[in-house]
Amino acid sequence: MSVPSSLKGGPFTPSVLVRKRYVSYYIFLIWVSMISAILELWLYWQILWDPIRPLHFYIFLPLLFFIMYITMVITSLLFSKLLLIIVNAFHKPRTGIFLRHPSDKDYRYWSLRNTIKRWPVFCAHKFPFPFLDNICFKMFGVKTTFANSLFEGWVDTEFIDFGREVVVGQASIVQSAVIMGNFLIIKKTVIGDNVRIGAHCVVMPGTYIGKNCILGAGSFTTVEQVLEDGWIYIGTPAKKYKRNRFFEEDLEDKLEHTQNIDIEKIRVKYEENFFIRHDKHISLREKLKQRKEQLEEEHRRLANAP
Amino acid sequence: METGSKESENEQEAVIKEEVNLQFHWYLFSFFMIYFGSLLIPGVIFILYSLFFFIPNVMETRNFTSLFTELVPLLSLIFMPIIIIICYLLHLLFIALITRWFWNITEKKSPIKDGIIPRNIPSKILNYYHIRSFMIKYPKYIFTKGLFPWLSNWFFNFVGSSKIGKGTTIEEQVCADKYIDVGTNSYIGVSSVLTSHLVDGIFGNINYFELKVGNNVTLACLNNFASGCNLGDNSFLMPWASGGKHYTVSGNSFYSGLPLRKIFKGKTNEYLKIPQNIIAEEKKYRNDPSNLESLKKALSEYNDRQSEIMDENKPRITENEKETKAEITITDSEIPEAGDKADFALDFTTSSAISKINIKFLVLYIPIIWFSGILVSIIWYDFTRNKPPIQANPIIWIPTILLLPIIIFSMYITFIFGCLLFTKVFLVLINLIHKPKEGVFKAEIGNPDFDFWCLRTELKKIPIFLIRNSPLPYMDAWAFRWLGISMDFSSHLNDVWCDTEFIEMGRKVMVGQGAVIMSSMVVGKYLFIKNVIFDDYTVVGGQDTIAPGTIIGKDSVVGALSITNYGQILEDGWIYFGIPCIKLKENKYAESKRDFIRKVDVDEEKKYEIKHEVNIDEDKKELLQI
Repeated sequence: MSVPSSLKGGPFTPSVLVRKRYVSYYIFLIWVSMISAILELWLYWQILWDPIRPLHFYIFLPLLFFIMYITMVITSLLFSKLLLIIVNAFHKPRTGIFLRHPSDKDYRYWSLRNTIKRWPVFCAHKFPFPFLDNICFKMFGVKTTFANSLFEGWVDTEFIDFGREVVVGQASIVQSAVIMGNFLIIKKTVIGDNVRIGAHCVVMPGTYIGKNCILGAGSFTTVEQVLEDGWIYIGTPAKKYKRNRFFEEDLEDKLEHTQNIDIEKIRVKYEENFFIRHDKHISLREKLKQRKEQLEEEHRRLANAP
Repeated sequence: METGSKESENEQEAVIKEEVNLQFHWYLFSFFMIYFGSLLIPGVIFILYSLFFFIPNVMETRNFTSLFTELVPLLSLIFMPIIIIICYLLHLLFIALITRWFWNITEKKSPIKDGIIPRNIPSKILNYYHIRSFMIKYPKYIFTKGLFPWLSNWFFNFVGSSKIGKGTTIEEQVCADKYIDVGTNSYIGVSSVLTSHLVDGIFGNINYFELKVGNNVTLACLNNFASGCNLGDNSFLMPWASGGKHYTVSGNSFYSGLPLRKIFKGKTNEYLKIPQNIIAEEKKYRNDPSNLESLKKALSEYNDRQSEIMDENKPRITENEKETKAEITITDSEIPEAGDKADFALDFTTSSAISKINIKFLVLYIPIIWFSGILVSIIWYDFTRNKPPIQANPIIWIPTILLLPIIIFSMYITFIFGCLLFTKVFLVLINLIHKPKEGVFKAEIGNPDFDFWCLRTELKKIPIFLIRNSPLPYMDAWAFRWLGISMDFSSHLNDVWCDTEFIEMGRKVMVGQGAVIMSSMVVGKYLFIKNVIFDDYTVVGGQDTIAPGTIIGKDSVVGALSITNYGQILEDGWIYFGIPCIKLKENKYAESKRDFIRKVDVDEEKKYEIKHEVNIDEDKKELLQI
């Protein structure tokens, strides 16, 4: 799997910039991490640089760049952690509903935290192997294990707990903060063990996903929704679809034979989860009347069109 | 089915169906001008600084402590990262300048205007549309994916490709590069698509209309809007709320759904869990900004109450767990027996990310990166060797410095192809040990099929990742062909989340931006691998999810935002849409009328058609009269 060429993906730091001076923290982090890499280059130069016999210098140069890169990530992580500790001492990050306005303190500090996290996350994600991403997550306080795969979609870097063996699918978004209207909603998201989140899913802040759950492709959860253990959820917003029996043992043969599925039947099943609109206060007769009027109007318009 | 295809063949003879020829020479020319021109001056500054200050003062200082105690080495060291950042900013500035210049030239030759461009009739307007689309891509990647994404608003305004108001944030997304108009103080969430152009089918039309977004609009994430949409001020969209072409949203409300529609108090509260009094206060504030203080007060009261509740019953989650556990014990008795067929039916789609990252895979990364790095250092050595010091003979260095951007480019390309080559070698070896095969496997460490699938996927990630982050991401077709997708260069996969094996593609396949194509899927404890086949001239819409085993017939279209089911077969010449996608209508875009647009008013729930002139050259207009 590979991220499209116009996207970054991985740990997500929103680029909302409330105050322009926050960029100075960002540039400081870039500067510090580059200095550490340059000092490594200096050391290497002292040991191996020889203009007459340059073979060793050039042979090991790629490895040096590899190490320099990892040093850069680690240094920037350490310094950003330090900055975050200082910033959090001034204002403790908290959950709740805040105003999307520069005068709101929580909104400003949320933006500042994201700006500080941006450079280490950017650096870590510019390397194809995801272990650096997972170091970032752990460093910024997301509870996760190294085996989790959280790098195909966008995962926020605070107020999230992951269980073991979680799969976050391609292009799916796991949030602990969302901007809706004039509000910034920050809620703690908890995702249990063995959860499989499908492609193009959105997990909104405050969602609790129980163990062994599957969230089908193209669905989203609402704020503070609780998904029960061991169910398959599908829909916009997610609703119970069926019990998850795919964690049972020895199903290989059985699964290979249940492939030809009638799409129309699934469509009927999906109807409730995706398409039904719950406006039941209008009676059927009124609905039909409205429909008729609409059709008549359309006909009239078409007739008038040249 | 046979008769159906014959009929459509006869109809095809009646309408013109000419394939679009892309003018790669113009694309590459514009790209290299932007690339070379933008790197030239920053490169000169960087090299001069390194040669005159950095190498003599820092690298040739033997003593570590004197690096910090003496003034000149210390300053040279401190300024090095700053020089790099300044060079990077200059690079951005020159990119913007040159792109603006090119953009204005194309604008003079063929100005942008609203309209439907027929895709099966070659015309000047179509050519310039394609050139502009290509040209803006490289600068867009550099700005939005780079170090300073905050500058991208300035870039789009400066070039004139789109208008973005003050205080607006556009997170990373696949489109939003041209002909959109976003108001002030808006927030466009991650992975939402704002596109002013939409391709109907290989022989269909390009809908090219300006997309307008008002002031203070927020799109949560994964919202999709196509050409001609108009989002009014203060429209707040839930995730996945999307509209097609020419949707008009009047604003001042929350919207949700697919296609989107207005939601009212109850639904808003259900989705966002915001108390009614705060929503009411917010409405007051929206109408009159002087009510800011009372809204703030209500919010802080709510947050304080919430934190008190959190403190009081901290183990909220464990309680929930207990509840759900209790429920399971009840429902377990009601479930049908394990042998029930319907229960194991795979009638939903999930995703195919690797479920376990193994640090052991890194062992393969180091040799690949090292070996291809040696190729690069050979080029660098050859480029810099046998040169006298610059202080002694500066003239010899002039061509070296001027050629720097080209050398960097060739080094990058060498590195990519080195990685590709070594990956291929390792891949052949790995496939000798264990042959990749289709089927259902257990997704647990210890199962050889699963282990090797993870290993292959991780291994193939290096070259594809590098190519996609390079200035020319279009080269990834090469990588895909090498690594196991059967495709030719007439189709492209460069803006897609895509598996790298068990995919077969015909000619001229168009895959929309942000789509997910999977030939493997992890469901619960099991991994499914099945071949995905695209026939000739198929179009897969943006943000689609294609499940393993999908077969798409010739000339078929899968609409945007659709999801196919595992093993679904789509017939020839149809348009499919929905979750899971079903037949919508026959694919007759080639002969469809082009002088109508169908507008949708979301708030009034009305649809109406308007006449609109076709966007085509004057001398080609008679071709449309058939």
